[in-house]
Amino acid sequence: MRFLLEHPAPQGLDDLVRSAAAAHAAGLDGVLVREWQALPGVLVSAAAVAARVDEVLVAAEVEIGARHPVEIAEEAAVTDLASGGRLVLVARPAAAVPERYEESLDVIRHALAARPFRFEGEHWRVPMNLPQNVHQPEERVRVTPAPAQPRLELWGAGPGRSAALERALGHLADLDDDPDELARAWAGAEASPATIGAPRGRREQWLGVDDLLRRLRHGRSTFGQDWACVVALPEAAAEIASLVRPRVQLHRLTPGLEEFWDAERPWERGLR
Amino acid sequence: MSVSSRVGVSLWTMQSTAARPGLWRALYRRLGEDAQLAEELGFHAVWLGEHRVWYDGWCPAPLQALAHVAGKTSTIHLGTAMYLVPQHDAVAAARSIATLDHLSGGRVELGTGLGYRDAEFDALGLRRDRRGRLMDAGLDAMEAVWRGEHGDGPPVQRPAPRIWMGGMAAPAIARAADRGYGLLLPQTLSAGEYRRIADDYCARAVRPGAVGALRELWVSDDPKVGARHIERIGLHLTEEAGSWWALKDSFGFAARDQVDRQVARGIGQVAAGPAEQVAEALRAVLAAGVDYLALRPVFEFVEQAELHEQLRRIAEEVVPLLEGAGTS
Repeated sequence: MRFLLEHPAPQGLDDLVRSAAAAHAAGLDGVLVREWQALPGVLVSAAAVAARVDEVLVAAEVEIGARHPVEIAEEAAVTDLASGGRLVLVARPAAAVPERYEESLDVIRHALAARPFRFEGEHWRVPMNLPQNVHQPEERVRVTPAPAQPRLELWGAGPGRSAALERALGHLADLDDDPDELARAWAGAEASPATIGAPRGRREQWLGVDDLLRRLRHGRSTFGQDWACVVALPEAAAEIASLVRPRVQLHRLTPGLEEFWDAERPWERGLR
Repeated sequence: MSVSSRVGVSLWTMQSTAARPGLWRALYRRLGEDAQLAEELGFHAVWLGEHRVWYDGWCPAPLQALAHVAGKTSTIHLGTAMYLVPQHDAVAAARSIATLDHLSGGRVELGTGLGYRDAEFDALGLRRDRRGRLMDAGLDAMEAVWRGEHGDGPPVQRPAPRIWMGGMAAPAIARAADRGYGLLLPQTLSAGEYRRIADDYCARAVRPGAVGALRELWVSDDPKVGARHIERIGLHLTEEAGSWWALKDSFGFAARDQVDRQVARGIGQVAAGPAEQVAEALRAVLAAGVDYLALRPVFEFVEQAELHEQLRRIAEEVVPLLEGAGTS
């Protein structure tokens, strides 16, 4: 199981940096950045927080469907390069135009590959080959620069689940998504060996150690959850890292180990 | 106005060319390091360009690259030269710009340009011949976002980040004057041309903003080094003009003689030489009604150590000689 921290309501870059630094200090995998009232430019926030905190992953949840997908792919590629290859692009269907989600996802995937492509869909056509654009008309477009990652990590989110699973992408489920329904979706996807290794995530509200542990164990046993994006203030990172994460890594721990942890609380025995 | 508030450094493009291939992620790391040095030396801003769908990976997303710079620095301003407004979703762009302004503490300098390559417009499904209208509509939409008409909070800079209009054609000057934006003029003009444009702009604008200019320069006491730098710029510009520029009745390398003439004109304005000589050329520009310089020692073929030496020499030897120039 891997962990991202999502700040509930950051007011500025300092809040995001505190989250990322807390994740780093606790050994969590990274942070998730999304659109907030104070910080609506998701990939701008992602590039800035990556510049301030090394090594952590920076997942950026971006709405897909309304804007031109080539523009989104370009911004993602630059953010990935600027972060040294640490971007996870989490693609959520834009609420106003859910019908454009699948095509937009496909244009983004083409655009992030290092080859010229042509796309003719119902909603998008790349290149457009407009007669008014007369100089050097192209049959295929190569979007540059390529991201730092050989394959930019791309997940669907929320209602983009079936589109993401059909494409063997990862998926970040929402807080209230039903684990049994997720289990059915992933069981269907398992018919294809392509989905082996595809990240199965869900957002989790932080309500304390016991609650998170119970939900993650349930998520794991139902839909094979292997990523948790925990909506929590930075202060929760240490508890997640010491009290939750060790208990959801293996299929089974050695009998007695959890009782040992509960009795000795070794994370409180720092040499201070 | 202090010297540091009117001298910025340009132009990071993040290209990995045939002449000087580079690893892109290293180029972005270097951008942060370069900006840290520029900040330490007291320059006002770093300026990034924008182009797209080209073999060398020219940065298509300068706001995200500047967000990296924002995270690596604390006071230097973050400029685009130019952000191609017609090629972006204006509402999303305005939000990204407001976010950059917010998380940098109000350091955004938004140079805006039309863009000119058909291939870039066509990749995005846009008509190049509509770019003027797209620009006006885009600027209107962006200003509406910053006024809060879509429910957003305001940028740190009120009512909006400082906006500069790129270009030198009459519509660009009129647009800048009428909208109350600054002007950011290209590097290829003579002092006389700057004077004429600045006068036109100031005559038309009710409240004129700053008049800026990009200027290419290279500080060296060895004439051979200066000449070599101009030669390298010539090759760089030949590649660009030959690949991209629609010339009279022909396109790019199809009319190599026209390309060469354009390039010769462009490199004719490079100030290369000892600090006194470079400063003299810049003083002439400042005396012609230009009040901001985006000095350009940055090219992809300039090694990082070379660039850092240039930044130091410009800050320590050239900028002091500009004190008082053009402010009469």
